[in-house]
Amino acid sequence: MQKVTLPERPHWRDQAKEVGFTFADMHGEPYWDETSAYAFSLDQIENGLEDPATALHAMCREAVSHIITSESLMDRLAIPQPHRDLVADSWRRGDPEIYGRFDFAYDGTGPAKLLEYNADTPTSLYESAAFQWQWLENQLAAGALPEGADQFNGIHEALVARFAEVFEQNSDLHFTAVAGNPEDYGTVEALGWAAREAGLGAHYCDLDKIALSDDGQFLDDEDRRIAVLFKLYPWEDLLRDDYASHISGSGCLFLEPAWKSLLSNKGLLPVLWEMFEGHPNLLPAFFEADVDDAMAGRGAPTEAVAAAFERAEAQLVAGHVRKPILSREGASVSILKSGTVIEQSKNSDYAEHPRIIQAYAPLPQFDGFRPVVGAWIVGQACAGIGIREDRSRITQDLSRFKPHYVTK
Amino acid sequence: MIKRSNRVAIAIVGATAFTLAGCREEQVDAAAFPDLQSCLADASRGGIFTAQDCETSFAQAQTLHVEAAPRYDSLAVCEEQHGEGACDTEATATQGGSGSIFMPLLAGYLIGNILGGRTGMSAAQPLYKTSDGRFTDAARNSTFSNNSGSAKLNTSQFTRPAATVGQTPMTRATASSRGGFGAAGGGRTGFGG
Repeated sequence: MQKVTLPERPHWRDQAKEVGFTFADMHGEPYWDETSAYAFSLDQIENGLEDPATALHAMCREAVSHIITSESLMDRLAIPQPHRDLVADSWRRGDPEIYGRFDFAYDGTGPAKLLEYNADTPTSLYESAAFQWQWLENQLAAGALPEGADQFNGIHEALVARFAEVFEQNSDLHFTAVAGNPEDYGTVEALGWAAREAGLGAHYCDLDKIALSDDGQFLDDEDRRIAVLFKLYPWEDLLRDDYASHISGSGCLFLEPAWKSLLSNKGLLPVLWEMFEGHPNLLPAFFEADVDDAMAGRGAPTEAVAAAFERAEAQLVAGHVRKPILSREGASVSILKSGTVIEQSKNSDYAEHPRIIQAYAPLPQFDGFRPVVGAWIVGQACAGIGIREDRSRITQDLSRFKPHYVTK
Repeated sequence: MIKRSNRVAIAIVGATAFTLAGCREEQVDAAAFPDLQSCLADASRGGIFTAQDCETSFAQAQTLHVEAAPRYDSLAVCEEQHGEGACDTEATATQGGSGSIFMPLLAGYLIGNILGGRTGMSAAQPLYKTSDGRFTDAARNSTFSNNSGSAKLNTSQFTRPAATVGQTPMTRATASSRGGFGAAGGGRTGFGG
């Protein structure tokens, strides 16, 4: 894994504009940044990222089976009591997953370490699946890349195949997102294209335009019934909205399904560690409530995790990260080394949520930037990667998207 | 093995993208007729379709009518959608139908110049009245101002409509409220991660 300086495509900004990639610059800073790219070997891609991500998704499915049988874990993951059956039923019925993104700390040598699973509402899909792909094709044509360079990016085709596998031809799917956010919308439209290519009907409706019919079905802005709803809006919010109690009786299939709320939750990390302690792609992780006193030298960890905590204590003390169980874009995350905060996000959203403690795996540094590798899961297998890098140790919303290629 | 897609969808068009897809399609010659006689009359005047086309299409539209007409659980809901006097029971419309399921009457048919035998397509489509005096197809995806005349239409117009026979009939779906999603997200403007 290397970072390689490359000439930018001379007209990429015009091209971005032309294709509607309006958020290529955000907050006055570049978001899409092709002044350099990451280069991987095929071995790094396949054995370092692809296979581990596919295996982790299977482990996450095992974790879901486990969590839905445990009231106490549902509590710890802050799944609202009235909606626990909705979550469990979606799993038992086998409601299908479409996509998700694992975020890894990976430097090309040791095993990739799972930081978190954006299993419910991952964005940057358009950049990963489409614009990055176009970059590779253009740069190959321009001779800017080594001959035979490839990219780990079968995302679009995998999505088409997944939609075709899950739905009958000509089924109608609705897609929704919060109005006025081009970044979220880009991801939704990328999914819409894939659904259409799979022979399905795709309709879009802003989230706040969704209506409830007299007989308890969800309707779009033209009062058409919604049979399948892809929502780029997290379950933790959905379950706290006014319509939450109408979801289970609506007959509407939600995508991602409600069981993804157990995965796009940092509470997943201690559950995985408990089930698969020592797995090379996992970092030791605990619920803060179980180990906080022990970490602060005020007392003992709770009994259930005492042995596992003892095995991980030295590593946690050397460096750990505290994350609210529900948080996005690094909000309210802090990194501590030997008891001292070395980095803390300025965004304090989600600060009121319970937290987990995870051993600190520093992101590698390339030219002062720290990349996080996002590994896309489509269906149940890894289909590609997208990289975002930040100057900060915590990848936040000012991070930059970097293209990658795979050397022959 | 190549690890990237052969092709991708590159454009973000905006919300219209979801409806635009149809506009990029191939278009075909199409005509609507209120009944078989008017089609045959048009054919005899040298219209784009032959008498044979008329016969075949009318039979097809009638089959599709039985199979895929919108079905409702009450006369009131059906008439609300299709206008007064435009509905009948399934039992009247089809052999072995139910007396408590309601369907609109066939109000014409649409023929498209589509090659026969294309999977998932039907060159003939039944038409129904709408409550405001226009016409719609079985899937109720398109509305036409008239049930006679010719036009260029997208091939997707001739997609075989989903069967409704044996399915739970539609019930009234008037919106009783709107806007019950989105509030818990508070002031945040983006929800991805």
